[in-house]
Amino acid sequence: MSATTTHTETDTYVSHQAPWNVIVHDDPVNLMGYVTYVLMKIFAYDEATANKLMLQIHQQGLSIVWSGELEKAEFYAQQLQFHQLKTSLEQAE
Amino acid sequence: MKIAPTLEGGLRIDPESDLDWQILRMISADANQVETDLADRLGGMVSDERLAEDWMECVVPDLREAFSDDLFQIQAAIEAAAVFHSDGEHPIWITKEDAFAWYSALNQARLALEEMYHFKNEPDIDSEKAPSPRQQAFLRSQFYCALQSLILDHAL
Repeated sequence: MSATTTHTETDTYVSHQAPWNVIVHDDPVNLMGYVTYVLMKIFAYDEATANKLMLQIHQQGLSIVWSGELEKAEFYAQQLQFHQLKTSLEQAE
Repeated sequence: MKIAPTLEGGLRIDPESDLDWQILRMISADANQVETDLADRLGGMVSDERLAEDWMECVVPDLREAFSDDLFQIQAAIEAAAVFHSDGEHPIWITKEDAFAWYSALNQARLALEEMYHFKNEPDIDSEKAPSPRQQAFLRSQFYCALQSLILDHAL
């Protein structure tokens, strides 16, 4: 009777890719209340969080409004641009 | 022109003079008088070389179509109300469903005017003299902004 040995190898792949930042830039036209409204609508942020991000955009010229995987970042950036917010994407370092 | 909120959560606009109709028609005209359209300007914000080409090919045309549809929708609403205006009271209704298109169209007009004139602290306008094209544009931009605030407060 022969013995059978089974080896099971499990590799775990962890993505070491840096997350992508969705960045909203200030512009001279969009109303502050509208920016808050859009951030609440797209990211389901509560009003306090959305308002804080909006003030960062207004006072500092830009704000990272979301970070994460590329596919979602692209989706969010597209939604923000459909709402006419100046939005860029960059990979975090 | 009178603008008032409705019980259904929208707005009604009652133009009262030819000038009011003219100003409403200027929303689309202003939005369209830009050298680089809004979709291109927004698309250009995604400049990472791994993404930029696809963004310009796939996203920007959709943005352009959506913005154009918004302008067309509000233009049609204004012209439809204008046709019946001479028969009596025919307000322009901004329902909750229409609110974003109106906001978008007004934003496009304001962005275009801002790009053309780079408004800063505009001087007081002398009511005795005819306003310059820049002053007229500034006044329209202020009106568009006021209407956007009402839409944001009552319809979005």
